Amino acid sequence: MATGFFTDTTICIGCKACEVACKQWNQLPGDGYAFTGNSYDNTVALGATTWRHVAFVEQMAPPEEPVGTSRWLMMSDVCKHCTNAGCLEACPTGAIVRNEFDDVFIQPDICNGCGYCVPSCPFGVVDLIGHADYPATRSFESDGRSTDDALQKHGGIAGKCTLCYDRQKDGLVPACAKACPTESIHFGDVDELKDQARQRVATLRASGVDAYLYGVDEDTSVGDLNAFFLLTDAPGKYNLPERPVLPSTHQRAGYTSAAIAAAALTLVGFALFRATK
Amino acid sequence: MSVDRDAARVPIAPMHDAGVIDAARREMRDLAPDNARFGVAGVGLPPRDATTYYEQPLLKKPHWEWEVIVYLFLGGIMGGSGILTALADEHGEDAELGRNARYVAFALASTCPVVLIKHLGRPERFLNMLRIVKFKSVMSMGVWGLIAFSLPATAGATAQAARDGLLPKQLRFLRFVGPRAITNPLSAILGAFIAGYTGVLLSATAIPVWAKGKRHIPAMSACSGIAGACALNALLLEIGGNPNPVTRRRLERLELVASLAEAAVILDFRRHAGTIGDPFFVSKHGRKMEIATLLGGIVVPSLLGLLPFHAKWKTSLGSTLTLVGGYVLRETLIEAGKDSADDPRAASRQPE
Repeated sequence: MATGFFTDTTICIGCKACEVACKQWNQLPGDGYAFTGNSYDNTVALGATTWRHVAFVEQMAPPEEPVGTSRWLMMSDVCKHCTNAGCLEACPTGAIVRNEFDDVFIQPDICNGCGYCVPSCPFGVVDLIGHADYPATRSFESDGRSTDDALQKHGGIAGKCTLCYDRQKDGLVPACAKACPTESIHFGDVDELKDQARQRVATLRASGVDAYLYGVDEDTSVGDLNAFFLLTDAPGKYNLPERPVLPSTHQRAGYTSAAIAAAALTLVGFALFRATK
Repeated sequence: MSVDRDAARVPIAPMHDAGVIDAARREMRDLAPDNARFGVAGVGLPPRDATTYYEQPLLKKPHWEWEVIVYLFLGGIMGGSGILTALADEHGEDAELGRNARYVAFALASTCPVVLIKHLGRPERFLNMLRIVKFKSVMSMGVWGLIAFSLPATAGATAQAARDGLLPKQLRFLRFVGPRAITNPLSAILGAFIAGYTGVLLSATAIPVWAKGKRHIPAMSACSGIAGACALNALLLEIGGNPNPVTRRRLERLELVASLAEAAVILDFRRHAGTIGDPFFVSKHGRKMEIATLLGGIVVPSLLGLLPFHAKWKTSLGSTLTLVGGYVLRETLIEAGKDSADDPRAASRQPE
């Protein structure tokens, strides 16, 4: 069974309980107290130790328009757990795997921090955990945590949403979905979630809301997303790519072009080194 | 500047009194500083039709610093030197070149892994790279390519050292470990892969400027690697004494062809990439690349090569400039990738 998230942005209230629940369950360090001044979003983006991020878009009407035409869009962003995952394909150690729940998981004891998954994610999700993110002076072993956990906490490896692999193994709902007070974050079997989401889109459209699904039935090289979204504006406004492209689709052209260049110059070299004095 | 507090105060109005709120919003706009970045109400809010999320980057930057730049540069020269071992006419004028190129290939094949391991977030786990062979991962292919290349490079250099009498008497038998008829072609084939794959490593990512160059960056890497190998070997032969003038001319000519091909690919990339190529061409990195790579690394050495006389300084200067140009090309590629990741518009509609 493939599990995933259906995040319905129309009922998100931007409370960030998902961000907090994720940090708590996964024992991730805080993001500091930066103030962006952009909107009620001071987390800014997903990161190596920030696995849920609530985007908060303020769309204020120009003063000429009547009151009531301004609106807020809130979206709890997360790793998409793509059908064709760029990070998984790029990983040279096999640290990034697809687990039994069909989710993309980084094995923290295998990853050696080469960083190739970072530019290979078309959604800008995965990042390297800095050694400074976790104070080295803390003794993790004495906290009674597992060695794997301690290894991860010392940084230097890639980090992203695990879709609460540990909780799923125990039959629990991921922390973010559990904490969401409006059930904007639905967790479950992806096929069932898709049916539910299509119905929700139909309901919203019937009542005049321009809603659509992001990451379902789209013709992109990353395929369907295990964590997909119901949006009411263009993807770019939520900082999602309009058209994500799977990086490995560039390989054939690249290898061909390199081979042609190298072979042509080698042939020229043969001619030069054999025929000239 | 003093602010008139009464004028700045926003009137408090019942929510239904639209007229008062509109007036307040107009007032806020009028009071906003002229340099307010966004504009509807003039109070720092983005317009409703803003196409990005507060101009925040959509992609993550590659965490690649000098180690990776040095590797891309040295890897190109290493691969090119592998090709040169096969090109050199060992029974004729190029015996010195073959010997030199084998040593260079071996030295770089020993250095590159160290630099690569240094760049890992967890260097003590570098052996995890050898858990699997993964054709879909360009980095996995590169690791195995590097290991494969180091075999004929090491065998060839060991045999060379035995022939040169650099090894103790008991180890002289090692001159049979690397027959040139086998190590030279293998070095050439694997070297061609190494010189070119470093470009694929960059272009097979989501970074817009790299992805846009999926055909150009691998080709320019291969060309630059071969030109750099010609330059480094010519420089070392020049430093080592009086190289055979025929070998020197051959190296100069191959370097000229490779450099001109590299320049053609770079210029075609500029035309092809459009605004997505701006981080590579139109930026402070771009200016450095134009001066150090196109002008200093390609045009000047080519013109020096046309001078109708030979001088040690001419070869040395031309070769050094070519090498600097090759390094700056790799540096610019990496830095441009980081800048490109910061551009949410380029990252939104990703190059196919």
